[in-house]
Amino acid sequence: MKAAEDNVDSGTPLLTVENLQVEFDTYGGTVQAVRGVSFSVDQGQTLAIVGESGCGKSVTVQSIMGLIPMPPGRITAGSARLRGHEILGRSTVGGKEIRGAEIGMIFQDPMTSLNPTMTIGDQIAEPLQIHRGYSARDAFTEAIRLLELSKIPEAEKRARQYPFEFSGGMLQRAMIAMALSCKPSILIADEPTTALDVTIQAQILDLMQELQKETGMAIILITHDLGVVARMADEVAVMYAGKVVEYGSADDVFYRSAHPYTVGLKEAMPTNDPARQHELKPIDGSPPDLFAPPAGCGYCPRCPHAMQICSDRQPQGHDLHGHHSASCWLHHAQSESRPETLFFKDAH
Amino acid sequence: MWLYILKRVLQGLLTVWFIATATFFAMHNVPGDPLTNDRAMTETTRANLEGKYGLDQPITTQYLIFLRNLARGDFGISFVQENREVNDIIREHFPVSAILGVLAVVFAATGGVLFGALTALYRNRLPDYLIMFLVILGISVPSFVVAALSQLSLVSLNTLVGFTVLPVAGWGTVMHMLVPALVLGLSTMAYLTRLMRSSMLEVTSSDYVRTAKSKGVPPTRIFARHQLRNAILPVVTVLGPAIAAITTGGFVVELVFAIPGLGRYFVEAVQQLDYTVIMGTTVFYGAFLVFMVILVDVVYGFIDPRVRLDS
Repeated sequence: MKAAEDNVDSGTPLLTVENLQVEFDTYGGTVQAVRGVSFSVDQGQTLAIVGESGCGKSVTVQSIMGLIPMPPGRITAGSARLRGHEILGRSTVGGKEIRGAEIGMIFQDPMTSLNPTMTIGDQIAEPLQIHRGYSARDAFTEAIRLLELSKIPEAEKRARQYPFEFSGGMLQRAMIAMALSCKPSILIADEPTTALDVTIQAQILDLMQELQKETGMAIILITHDLGVVARMADEVAVMYAGKVVEYGSADDVFYRSAHPYTVGLKEAMPTNDPARQHELKPIDGSPPDLFAPPAGCGYCPRCPHAMQICSDRQPQGHDLHGHHSASCWLHHAQSESRPETLFFKDAH
Repeated sequence: MWLYILKRVLQGLLTVWFIATATFFAMHNVPGDPLTNDRAMTETTRANLEGKYGLDQPITTQYLIFLRNLARGDFGISFVQENREVNDIIREHFPVSAILGVLAVVFAATGGVLFGALTALYRNRLPDYLIMFLVILGISVPSFVVAALSQLSLVSLNTLVGFTVLPVAGWGTVMHMLVPALVLGLSTMAYLTRLMRSSMLEVTSSDYVRTAKSKGVPPTRIFARHQLRNAILPVVTVLGPAIAAITTGGFVVELVFAIPGLGRYFVEAVQQLDYTVIMGTTVFYGAFLVFMVILVDVVYGFIDPRVRLDS
C-alpha cells in the first residue's frame, strides 16, 4: 500500500477536487449549494477560496472533510482525491484517518469552536491519542510543545487552562496547534481571522505561513477578505453562486482579472494606497436563489457587461494563460464585447 | 472556592431566617390556635394552658423565644401529640422521606439523562416519539393516580406469579422502596428528559462538536467526552430544587403506599394548627432545600470550570 501511494505521489497534485456538487434538502426545497467546483492544491502551496457569504465555499471544504450532515446534505457528483486516492465519503485513506491526521481544520470563531469543559491541553492531546496511539501523558507533553510552537507563552500553564481563560487570538493559536498536532498534509482554514481584530489577524496569518514553511503542508484558506488573499495565497479560486468563476495564480487573479465578478470585488475593496485611491463601488443586487439556479450565468443580473447569451446558457471555463481560467461568455471566441477593465487572452 | 462556599452558606442562613420569620408570623395570623378544638374548656383551663405554652406572652416575646430555641436547634414540643418533641418527629420520620426521596432522585436523574440523550440521538425517529409520548404522560398524570395504578398492577402481578415479587405497600426493605420511589420520581424524570433532550440537541449542533469531528474523534468518544458533560449542565442546575421538591413533596405517595415519612406529620400538623410542628417542619424543609441548592451549585462548579473562577 505504501509503495502504491508513493507511485501516485509524483506528478499529481496533493489534493484534486473535480466537479464537486453538493445539495441540501430543506423545507423550502433543495438548495444546490455547490454546483461543480474544481481546484487542486500542491504541497507547500496556499489556495485561497474567495467569495461572498453563501457562495458555497464553506460547504465545499466541509464536504471534503466529511463534515456535511447527511441527510439533509448530499454529494451528488464529483471527486476529491488526496495523492490520487478518492476521499469523498471515506474516513480513511491508505490506512490513515483523513480527519485530523491527513487534513486538519480550523474555524471562524475560536471562542465557540473549543469545548468549554475540557482543558486546552487535553483538546490538543486528543487527536494524538486517537491517531498516533500516544498515552495520555505523552500526548499532553506533546500538546505543550505544540502550544509553544504556536507561540503561546507559558505553554505549560496554559495547557491546563480552559478556553474561557484564553483570548480570541490565543484560542485561534490553540486551534492551529490542535489542527496540526498529527502533522496533516493539508490545513483547511475556514475564515480563520474573521472573528479576530486586525492586529491579531496579522499574527495568526504570520503563524500559519511560518508553520507552512516548517512543515511543507498545503493550506486551503477560505476568506472574503481580499487583503488576506493578497498576503497569503499562491493560487486563488473565486467562487460565486456555487461555482468557481475565476481560477489562477494570485498574480493572475489580482492583476489580470478576467471575470467581471472578480473586478467587482476588487472595486468594492478599500485600499490605503493613495495612488490607487478610488471611490468604493458596491456590487448591486444579490446572488441568485440557489433553490432554482438560473439557466445562464449566475452573475448575469449584476454584471455590467451582460449579453443575451449570459442569461440563456451556462458559460464554460476559458483557459487564458497557464492555468488561469475564467467562466465567462466574454472570453468566448465569438464574443465581440471586450471591456477594458478585464484581462483577455490575446493581451499576452 | 472556599470563600464562595462560605458566602453561599451565609446567604443560606439568611434565607432560612427569613423562612422562619415568615412562617412564624403567618401562623399567628391564622384564626384560632392549637388549643381550639372540640373539647369543652373552661376559661381557667385555657388560661392555664396558654400560660404553660407561653401563648399569653406578647407576640414579639414569643418570636424572640422561638428564634432563641431555633438557634439552639430546638423546635419545641408538639401541642397536639402529647410529650413529643418536634425534633424527635423529624429525627424519626425524615430519614424515611429522605431515603425515598434520594432513591426517587436517582431514578429521575439517571432516567432523565439517559432517555433525554436517547431521544436526541434518535431525533424524529421511533424511540424519540415513543419516549416523548411517555414524557407527556409522566408530566400530566398526577402522582396519586400513578401510585394507585402501580399498586393495582403490582397486585395483579403478584397474583399472577403466585408469590410477592414486590410488596404493594408498607416500609422496611429495599423492595418496599422501589415502586414508590419510581412513582415519586416519575414527573421529575419526565421533566429532566425534556430538558436533557433540548440541551443535547443544542450541543450536537455546536461548533466544538464540529471541531471534534474535524479532529477525527470517533462518535462514541464525541458523545462521552464532548456532548454529555456539556449537555448535562442545565440538568444539574435544576437537580437541587428537584431533590428538595421530591423529598418534601412526597406525602401523597407516602400516604398511598403507607410509608411512615415526615410528609404525613406535616399535613396533619397544618390541619390541627400544631404551631411547633408546622414551624419545625417548615424551617427544616426550607433549610434542606437551601442546603441542596448550595450543594448543587458547588457540584456544578466541578463540572463547569467557568463557574469556579467567575464567583
